[in-house]
Amino acid sequence: MENKEKVSAEEILSLANTLRWDLGMNLHDTVTESIYEGASKIAKKTVRVKDEKSSVNWDLKIDKVVTSKWLGFPIMFFLLALVFWITVAAANIPSGWIASLLIDTLHPILKNGAAAIGFPWWLSGVLIDGAYLSVAWVVSVMLPPMAIFFPMFTLLEDFGYLPRVAFNMDSLFRKAGAHGKQALTMSMGFGCNAAGVVATRVIDSPRERLIAIITNNFSLCNGRWPTQILIASIFIGGLVSSRWAGIVSAGAVVGVAVLGIFFSLVVSWALSRSVLKGEASAFSLELPPYRPPRILQTLYTSLIDRTIFVLWRAVVFALPAGILIWLVANIHIGELSLAEWFINWSDPFAMLFGLNGVILLAYIIAIPANEIVIPTVLMLTVISSGIAGVGAGDGVMFELDSIADTERVLRAGGWTLLTGINLMLFSLLHNPCSTTIYTIYKETKSVKWTMISTFLPIVMGFAICFFTTQVWRLLVK
Amino acid sequence: MSPGSLLLIGVVVVVFLAWIFWPEKGLLSLLTKMRMNTLKVQLEDALKFLFDCEYKNVSCGLHTVAGNLHISSNKAAAILDRLQEMGLIEPRNETYQLTDAGKSYALRIIRVHRIWEKYLADETSMDHKEWHNAADLKEHQLSTEAAEKIAGQIGNPVFDPHGDPIPTAGGDLPLHLGVNLSALKEGDAGRISHIEDEPGYIYEQLMALGLYPGMQVYIMDVSAGKITFAAQGEEIVLTPLFASAITVEKLQEAVHVNNKYELLSSLEIGEKAEVIGISPNCRGQQRRRLLDLGIVPGTIVTAEIKSASGDPVGYRIMGATIGIRKKQAGFIFINKKIVQV
Repeated sequence: MENKEKVSAEEILSLANTLRWDLGMNLHDTVTESIYEGASKIAKKTVRVKDEKSSVNWDLKIDKVVTSKWLGFPIMFFLLALVFWITVAAANIPSGWIASLLIDTLHPILKNGAAAIGFPWWLSGVLIDGAYLSVAWVVSVMLPPMAIFFPMFTLLEDFGYLPRVAFNMDSLFRKAGAHGKQALTMSMGFGCNAAGVVATRVIDSPRERLIAIITNNFSLCNGRWPTQILIASIFIGGLVSSRWAGIVSAGAVVGVAVLGIFFSLVVSWALSRSVLKGEASAFSLELPPYRPPRILQTLYTSLIDRTIFVLWRAVVFALPAGILIWLVANIHIGELSLAEWFINWSDPFAMLFGLNGVILLAYIIAIPANEIVIPTVLMLTVISSGIAGVGAGDGVMFELDSIADTERVLRAGGWTLLTGINLMLFSLLHNPCSTTIYTIYKETKSVKWTMISTFLPIVMGFAICFFTTQVWRLLVK
Repeated sequence: MSPGSLLLIGVVVVVFLAWIFWPEKGLLSLLTKMRMNTLKVQLEDALKFLFDCEYKNVSCGLHTVAGNLHISSNKAAAILDRLQEMGLIEPRNETYQLTDAGKSYALRIIRVHRIWEKYLADETSMDHKEWHNAADLKEHQLSTEAAEKIAGQIGNPVFDPHGDPIPTAGGDLPLHLGVNLSALKEGDAGRISHIEDEPGYIYEQLMALGLYPGMQVYIMDVSAGKITFAAQGEEIVLTPLFASAITVEKLQEAVHVNNKYELLSSLEIGEKAEVIGISPNCRGQQRRRLLDLGIVPGTIVTAEIKSASGDPVGYRIMGATIGIRKKQAGFIFINKKIVQV
């Protein structure tokens, strides 16, 4: 009995297989299509649409303007520039407050307190000069711009404008093998790359999403803007008379940012035609109806979802970095500290790329946060070139109030115009910060793509600095 | 070292790295390809070819085998000898016949090949020109278990993207049905069931003409040197050589499909149309996406706005505005007349 059933089951299966051949190759589609067809026929009969004309027309009127051939791009550039300008202009003030509170006021109090309780020098060094100071630095530089940028961006999204930006920009990104929504994640990257990587979730095509993740690092994030601005004002602004210095250095910074967009498109193009060629890809872009933004809700979610979340991760990563920075400057082997050993050893190599050992070390130990690169560079320069009377001691990061003083320290460290230019290029093209690397891993769940996103920009950075340096030395001698 | 010589070294390093890692033409990928072309691969290819000959009732001798595998006659003879030793084929008259063991071996390779082609077509965005070559490599590497797993993931397909039936895991394959397009007469109608993907240059031209399995054709004229037929309202002329690469199932009722399908990409802003269907050339995720959005027969679409750069265009579909690129809109067949009241 049992045996008989088994045989007949096999027979049924084999019969079913033969019949599937007879059904032809479009069976799957036919079934899907007829399900939809049936559903839409039923819906057409039973669902009555309440005169939706009026709202549609309103949307259409706005759309005709924001996607028009002549006004579309100017409106977009104006709105995005406005968002960036408000961010930069408004963030300076609270940044100054937080810095003076956490760094200028609280740090000495903590130091004195620790001394009063009788902490050994190394313990207060590691904890206060290392861990505390680096966290304080990251918070003061990072928090205000993020708290301003993300809510504004989210409001634009909530209103419904951002999908129109993606719609307008799609043709450019299509040519680079990417998705129009990459314009949005790229803009988000100008605020914070980690947030930009999370934002790629809006791209619903696997290949284009990976492209957006890998190239997000080419957007100059807000931890790198201050570096660019400082170095540009010292070395590029210094080339022209003080009347033009502001405009020229601002132009140089914008130039680096535009170069970043250019690299992002070129790399997208190359990726979509090489390693990512086979990944599945599908395009569609919903243009949701406009609606008044829900301001309070937006403020709340962007503060919790983006600002606090990213900040928390940055703090988690910055804390050990602070400890590490303090340790390399204070652990001595023989006469020299670990930092000096590394700087002396790597200097000849770094010179090939027009950089120096200090910069290499700063970029290695400041991987957790781009914000602390400049303070670390200054601290290391003071240590390695033995300048007296500047800074706050070995392993204690600092920044100088005047640009002229900063310039003096850097020039004493052997910096030239070429070093400045290379630093600006290297600041654009180097590995993402550890928060971003971790986020990329969380989003892609793939070691391979995380590695590519990490090492591709740094290899490009070294190559571009190398060629810039050699051509420069050949021509400018 | 002087900047000039450093620069030179830099350029040499970049060129060297490009030479090694360049996709498809670089040393690394050439080496991989070379390593793949082992004896096992040639044996399996020869077996597959002989099976195909039997399936289509063509007699294939030593020279056709050599020609098909792009190897010398001596080498082909050696391979055929080896296959005989392995008990997979036996000679018969001028040609060879597969033993039962040979048949089941060949069917297994064909199954893996066609499953992989189907997988590439549905789950990746690899170009249709590359499926066949990629599957030719993969069929020798993929284990039976791995192939079954993939088949399960993509819904146990029974046809590959060229219209060929996929043998079952048990080794069943339907009889070779259908006739050559070149064998049809004037007034006949049929549905394309298969487009032969070898040789590649013929396949590519047929693809470039927009032909695909599942398309209905209607023979308009047959003369000595050419065959003229209508496919989706378009008149296509082929030489018998090209036509022989196309297999069709004859249709009893000659449904005369002569009105040319219009494409969604041709819809001007403000115009409305009814969806007729999605071209079978749009596959996998993209096809499912369009279906999800409501691009099914009977749906009314309106072209609403153009992006600032002209492409994509926003269409009103089932109460939502969806941006669709020109390329994808070119896969969607529409009828403008029905709604032009």
